[in-house]
Amino acid sequence: MIFFLAGFIGALLVGWVVFPNVLYSTKTQPVTFLHSSHQDSDCQDCHSFREDGSFSGLPKLEKCAECHAEPMGESPEEKRLVEEFIQQEREIPWLVYAWQPDNVYFSHAAHTQTQGIECVRCHRDVTKETKNPPFKENRLTGYSDKTMKMVECEKCHAERGASNACHVCHK
Amino acid sequence: MSLGRRAFLQFVGGAIGGTLLTPIPWKLADDSAIWTQNWSWRPSPERGEISRVHSICQMCPGGCGITARLVNGRRAVAVTGNAAHALTGGGVCPLGASSLQYLYAPYRIAKPLKQMGSRGDVNGFREISWDQALKEVASQLTRLRSEGKSHTVACLSGQKRSTMASLWRQFLTAYGSPNFYTMPDASDSGRLAVALTTGMDADVGFHWQKATFVLSFGAPLLEGWGSPVYLHQVFGQWQEAKPGVPKTMWVHVESRASLTASKANRWIACQPGTEAALALGIAHVLVREKLYDAAFVADKVFGFEDWVDLTGAQRQGFKSVVLAKYGLDEVSKITGVAPQTIQELARQLSQQKYSLVVWGQDKGDKPNNLYHDLAFLALNALLGNLSPAGTLALVPHDPWQVFPEPILDAEAYRGLGRAPLGRPTTAPRTRVPVNTVMPFLEAVASGSEYPVELLFIHEANPVYTLQETALVTQAFQKVGMVVSFSSYMDETTQWADLVLPNHNALERLDDVVGLPGVPFSYYAVASPILKPQHDTKSTGDVVLSLAAALQGSVAESLPWKTYEEVLKKRVTAIAEAGSGLVAARASFDPARVSGDRGLSPNFKDATDLWNKLKAGACWVDTAPAPQSFSTPSQRYELACQGLMASVSATAADDLFMPRFHPLKPSGDESEYPLLMTAYTSLMVSEGYVPNAPFMNKLLPDDLLLAQDVFVDIHPETARKLGLADKAAAVLKTPRGQASVRVRITTSVRPGVVAVPQGFGHTAYDAYVQKKGFNANSLIEVQLDPVTGLGTIWATRAQLRRA
Repeated sequence: MIFFLAGFIGALLVGWVVFPNVLYSTKTQPVTFLHSSHQDSDCQDCHSFREDGSFSGLPKLEKCAECHAEPMGESPEEKRLVEEFIQQEREIPWLVYAWQPDNVYFSHAAHTQTQGIECVRCHRDVTKETKNPPFKENRLTGYSDKTMKMVECEKCHAERGASNACHVCHK
Repeated sequence: MSLGRRAFLQFVGGAIGGTLLTPIPWKLADDSAIWTQNWSWRPSPERGEISRVHSICQMCPGGCGITARLVNGRRAVAVTGNAAHALTGGGVCPLGASSLQYLYAPYRIAKPLKQMGSRGDVNGFREISWDQALKEVASQLTRLRSEGKSHTVACLSGQKRSTMASLWRQFLTAYGSPNFYTMPDASDSGRLAVALTTGMDADVGFHWQKATFVLSFGAPLLEGWGSPVYLHQVFGQWQEAKPGVPKTMWVHVESRASLTASKANRWIACQPGTEAALALGIAHVLVREKLYDAAFVADKVFGFEDWVDLTGAQRQGFKSVVLAKYGLDEVSKITGVAPQTIQELARQLSQQKYSLVVWGQDKGDKPNNLYHDLAFLALNALLGNLSPAGTLALVPHDPWQVFPEPILDAEAYRGLGRAPLGRPTTAPRTRVPVNTVMPFLEAVASGSEYPVELLFIHEANPVYTLQETALVTQAFQKVGMVVSFSSYMDETTQWADLVLPNHNALERLDDVVGLPGVPFSYYAVASPILKPQHDTKSTGDVVLSLAAALQGSVAESLPWKTYEEVLKKRVTAIAEAGSGLVAARASFDPARVSGDRGLSPNFKDATDLWNKLKAGACWVDTAPAPQSFSTPSQRYELACQGLMASVSATAADDLFMPRFHPLKPSGDESEYPLLMTAYTSLMVSEGYVPNAPFMNKLLPDDLLLAQDVFVDIHPETARKLGLADKAAAVLKTPRGQASVRVRITTSVRPGVVAVPQGFGHTAYDAYVQKKGFNANSLIEVQLDPVTGLGTIWATRAQLRRA
């Protein structure tokens, strides 16, 4: 019996403690960016909708360059942003916490604009963040551990009476 | 405590139980599914801003409006129909939908190439710079001109309805060569027939929406003939029930039960190649029973009654000939159509206020027998369809004078004085240029006249797409130097000495002048949807730079810096003419365009028109109904006086007239007891571009199975030959042979083998090559004795068990 328990508990430890640490590698963003330092605006000022209703996602470098064409302060990270990216016209390879796999079709407009769902229903609240959360990248899938799983979508759809038919998201 | 076997098993059992209560198995199962999305060979568009660009498809002459979806403005991910386009309103055919697969194809040519090995060796090509490539062509052109050999330069272009054709013609004329050709199409014979009967340089257009009864002689309206997407929409409108309007009846005459035949209200299965006889049989009934439009015939038609020619000789008119020669029994014997059916069709046609007779074959890429074109036109004339309120339109082929008169120096005069290679002396002299591609190639291959020192091949793949492919390669071997302007390493480009790659259809600025089968003038500008992917150049720009390099009168005849300037000049010509409008789907109704009412412009000036066209719109104008014809008699000539110079003056009367004149296929009937006909479909591209992998997905297993192409035979034929369904067989014609599989079907007549076109490529990549056989290598071309155009209807064949 003791051997059974040893195997059982050992496996639990490996599964719940070791495995998650092995499965995910921790990465840092290419540039330190704090939403809380840019809070003179709301989400949509940077993560906007285009005229045709499609969602623009992450702002491009030119948005950063609007203010940071030259360094505004003394921060070495800002200096790096200006010198390594803006001046060289190199887009910042952001690590995106919420990217969904390619086989999912998802429209932000249908959720926020038509249904009025708040951004923070699915995304983390960034207003009080004092540093970027670590980006834990799944070694197998390449996606972040924050990537929302299908069950979340299904639950919300079920609650609100939206269809859970496959083709609604997998087009 | 020792670790025994029992203890170990307990440990493993515990570990398994424990693992099942951890995320390991479930998370791994889930993640490994997502992991499959990361495989490097899995196609996945880059992420970024999606934009849409409108343009005009140039994959065929159909002129459809398309919308390309781009990521970050530089990666095209889809091509769909442009819903705002006036004629095609969001529709697109399989070829258009696959067009990105040509843009990103591995067989694109990235840089100018020069053949360093022997001609035809694909591995012998080496990349060279544009400067060097252009210098080589220019020095060759200069040398030939200085040696008094300008007539030995020839060009074969695949761009038939683009300003490129006019540009090449201008260049060759100024340079001093009479040898300009475009790839053959139905318009080659149709325009000649129109010119002989009406004196106009025009294409035949059909008022589809107006017609209440359509009789189609072989024109596969749903399989890519004419402007395919537009015709599909017309077909859709025919099916709609409109209050107070009778549904359009559609009768299709064809030997094979094609898709078009199966969708028609009535299918008349005649013997292959006898459609014209049936038309004349119907004309016989119309004349005999006085069912024709007597007013139109009396007023506007010449040669219906007997007539006297200029020499005072008595000539028989159409009426006498058709009554004497095309009686119901004779026609029934030729066509296999019952006499009462012929009578019924004639009566039905005459009872309609808006009847329409159309004709054609395949996708409209083969010239027709001139006499047969005349017969179908005559039937329309008898029905009064050529009157201003009728269902036939004569659409000016290219009404705008864009290019100035070429300036000719002594060498140009000398070169143009030489006869075009292979052109028969009988070719009718009209305002329409005669496009005798096959006799040209025969003359080159046989070396009977003068040699071709320099041959330009522009966006064409004659080695694959022309029938009698063996003749084409023979001709190529006799040519001094071959320069290809293709975007792809196709069968023809493999034979080139120098390749000057053009932009792909989606990367270049080009235009579409007129649409086949559409009853009004059409003009559209195809604007590039993205920047060129490779180091290619627009052939229009290349021609202009060659002209500049030649200096003197050639440079003066083509004074523009860029091809864009040429196109803008054309748009200016249209704007200055001050008629026609930029059509939009929402406001333009093709059904209401008629010859007696002009369209007033809705654009400010040339710049405004250019901008609208560049944004994907199209310009249309009514084809004015001819009030009088510019023939010698000032009437529609059933008896074509224009043909008198082509055939001997003492020739029989019916040689000036529409008649059934089958050109006999060669080969001994005992050796080749079957007739082989080829067919096309919307699912297979058989032209300049090959079938893309996307399109191959549409092919059913009884058309292409692995490498085997199926040919259709009737159960009776199969029984005689002892062939079972799907059996392997060898198909042989006087031109060649191929391994095939047979599909037994009642959709073809006994004694006929129907062969699909578009397979059997040897060039391009692994997805295109080695799929079946090329029907063109088996097809025999019969030269029309009057025009010299290469016509095709059937080839004698034998089929035996493999």
